[in-house]
Amino acid sequence: MSLYSYLLISIIIFTIGVYGIITQRSGIKILMCIELLLNSANLNLVAFSSYNGNATGQVFAIFSIAIAAAEAAIGFAILVALFRLKDTINLDNINILRW
Amino acid sequence: MFSEYAALIVLLPVIAFVFTLFLGKKLYSGGALLPIAAIAGSFIISLGIFLEIYPADGMVQQSFPWFAGMNLGILIDPLAVVMLMMVSFVSLLIHIYAVGYMSHDPARPRYFAETSLFTAAMLSVVLSDNILQFFVSWELVGLCSFLLIGFWYHKPSAAAAAKKAFLVTRVGDVLFLAGIVLLYVNMKLLVDNGTLVVESQSYILQFKTMFEAIKLIDGTQLTYITLLFFGGAIGKSGQFPLHGWLPDAMEGPTTVSALIHAATMVTAGVYLVARTFPMFVATPSTISAGVPDALLIVTYVGGFTAIFAATMGLVMNDIKRVLAYSTVSQLGYMMLALGTAGTVLGAKAVGISMFHLLSHAFFKALLFLCAGSVIHAVGTNDIREMGGLFKKMKITGTTMLIAALALAGIGFPFESLGMPIMNIGTAGFFSKDAIIEGALEYGEVTHDMIPYSFAIIAALLTSIYIFRLWFMTFTGKPRSERHSHESPGVMTGPLMILAIFALLFGFSQLGFYGYLEKNFELMDVNIAVHEGEAFHPSAFLILLPVIVGVLGFLISYAIYNKRMINMSKIVSSGNPLYKLLYNRYYEPKIGADLIGVKLTHDVVARSGEFVDRKIIDGLIIDNIISNTLLKLGEIIRKLQTGVVQNYASVTILGIVLLLILLKLKFGGT
Repeated sequence: MSLYSYLLISIIIFTIGVYGIITQRSGIKILMCIELLLNSANLNLVAFSSYNGNATGQVFAIFSIAIAAAEAAIGFAILVALFRLKDTINLDNINILRW
Repeated sequence: MFSEYAALIVLLPVIAFVFTLFLGKKLYSGGALLPIAAIAGSFIISLGIFLEIYPADGMVQQSFPWFAGMNLGILIDPLAVVMLMMVSFVSLLIHIYAVGYMSHDPARPRYFAETSLFTAAMLSVVLSDNILQFFVSWELVGLCSFLLIGFWYHKPSAAAAAKKAFLVTRVGDVLFLAGIVLLYVNMKLLVDNGTLVVESQSYILQFKTMFEAIKLIDGTQLTYITLLFFGGAIGKSGQFPLHGWLPDAMEGPTTVSALIHAATMVTAGVYLVARTFPMFVATPSTISAGVPDALLIVTYVGGFTAIFAATMGLVMNDIKRVLAYSTVSQLGYMMLALGTAGTVLGAKAVGISMFHLLSHAFFKALLFLCAGSVIHAVGTNDIREMGGLFKKMKITGTTMLIAALALAGIGFPFESLGMPIMNIGTAGFFSKDAIIEGALEYGEVTHDMIPYSFAIIAALLTSIYIFRLWFMTFTGKPRSERHSHESPGVMTGPLMILAIFALLFGFSQLGFYGYLEKNFELMDVNIAVHEGEAFHPSAFLILLPVIVGVLGFLISYAIYNKRMINMSKIVSSGNPLYKLLYNRYYEPKIGADLIGVKLTHDVVARSGEFVDRKIIDGLIIDNIISNTLLKLGEIIRKLQTGVVQNYASVTILGIVLLLILLKLKFGGT
């Protein structure tokens, strides 16, 4: 596959992620969409790395994955705590800071 | 070799300040040894520089660029070097004394850190080579003064006194700053049109450049500039009408009063006038023929303050307040000297005034330290509760008597009367006599004897109040059952050293005058001296200052030691004159009640409130503005939905728009 196809797939994944973040109301779904964004970016990194014959991008992608794991762990922990407190993870109902 | 380390004079106490502040609690005696060592270092360097530049009539000049055509620099000329030695020496002695005096205070590290910072700032005032650095250091000493007056901040009166000192001197400082700005504007104008050339390595606000510009600046402008400078000096040196803060400043520890409010900081105003003296001399004479306007005002403010403060010193019962009024009065003398002698003797006036400044620093610091020793022993400030202390405190009593003799100017002018013996007397005798003589000569030349009469009457009052203080404290029977004892050696040692200076410093008079006269020659400034016919006052006039000094002593002796006159009739609330003096001419009342409450609160604030409540809110627009704004706010706050997704959508929309715009602008793929 050419670089172009990788980028196309990456764009498709990214767009799905953005769409999900904007439209979804469930906290878990939004977190999953954020993961999609991150991974589309990772895909880009790896694709360019292989295209240029340079390992830097792949190393970067590994970093990114590690950090994404940490982020997901914290995000889900927050959601679990929120669910215990409010019995919901629907973001529309979590608006105590709102006017 | 010492000249190269001139910057250390200021830096050593600064380093001591930092270390004492942060580590003082862990060090011996609250970290007192660090400032003492640092200030001793400053003193040694100052002394070394003096010994280097004195034989060759040299100066030390160092300068570094700072910002925008300003510089930081060091200028040690004769004027600065004598002041440097005095400040570091007196500060050193007072720091040593404070080890004993403050030994019971838990906040010693703070005390020693602040006095150390004060010393650094004061030394920096003295050796500045430009007016801006002078001003910055001047503000720093003001800050230290504020901190140290309010050292016992848990006492409401001390906190109030600190605030008052800060605010009142601020009035003067604003005037001083305005003077600097006006001077800068004038000089910048001259530089821009090419009249004034600032050489490389020179800067626009350096004293050197300022003195070069004197001839070029318009006379009226020069009068304004010098008077604004003098306004700063009035604030710092407690001259009328900004004198009220200095007696209140006695709320601080006595050592602070001795160091800041007697020997050093309050003399900074006099030093400022002496420093910029060529400018004062060069102002045109429009009010009185032959007298530069600025000097005329300096004369009258100083002379009036001298007599005005002395009258209040007569009736105070707080030992430190008497001394505070005495300080105000003596500072008035120094101003008077600059004004009168400046008119008739030119540059010599700086020598006369500075000589009194230095001898005053020695004997007034001594008086305060003795007062501190008494307070330390007795535990009260009120001289009515003291009495008979001489038997128990011989050293303090003797040194204080020496200081009192110096303040009253006791001595005998053998030589001036044509006898083949030199003049013999205390330091104050030499320095004060010269001032009174200068005022007399001023009177002869200008036929204006008012400054002279101010000086003579103030000398009489000075002698009365200081011996009243001494007799009431040390003689008679104890008037209260207080346990008292002589202070420890660490306190009496500095007393004795200062007493030696108060006794013997006067004999350096002629050498001192000769040395300081060269000061402005070294700066390439020529001050015209009006050499009239040689001035020979009659023997009576020569003796008059001594006569009034002795007279004051006798009056106090009769009243307060022998009790020959019953004072209870005079000293009563029924006597309007006593009431006026005891209430300090109602100055605190005028300041707080009239200006503070009546004027500021009742007139300005109330009318402001009226305009706001009744006119802006009430009549004209009836809350339209505020209601509209409130409603608008209600609408706009809805924009902040608090929903993260909305924010994300808008962000993404923005990025997309940005990309489209970039695409349209630059094209390409």
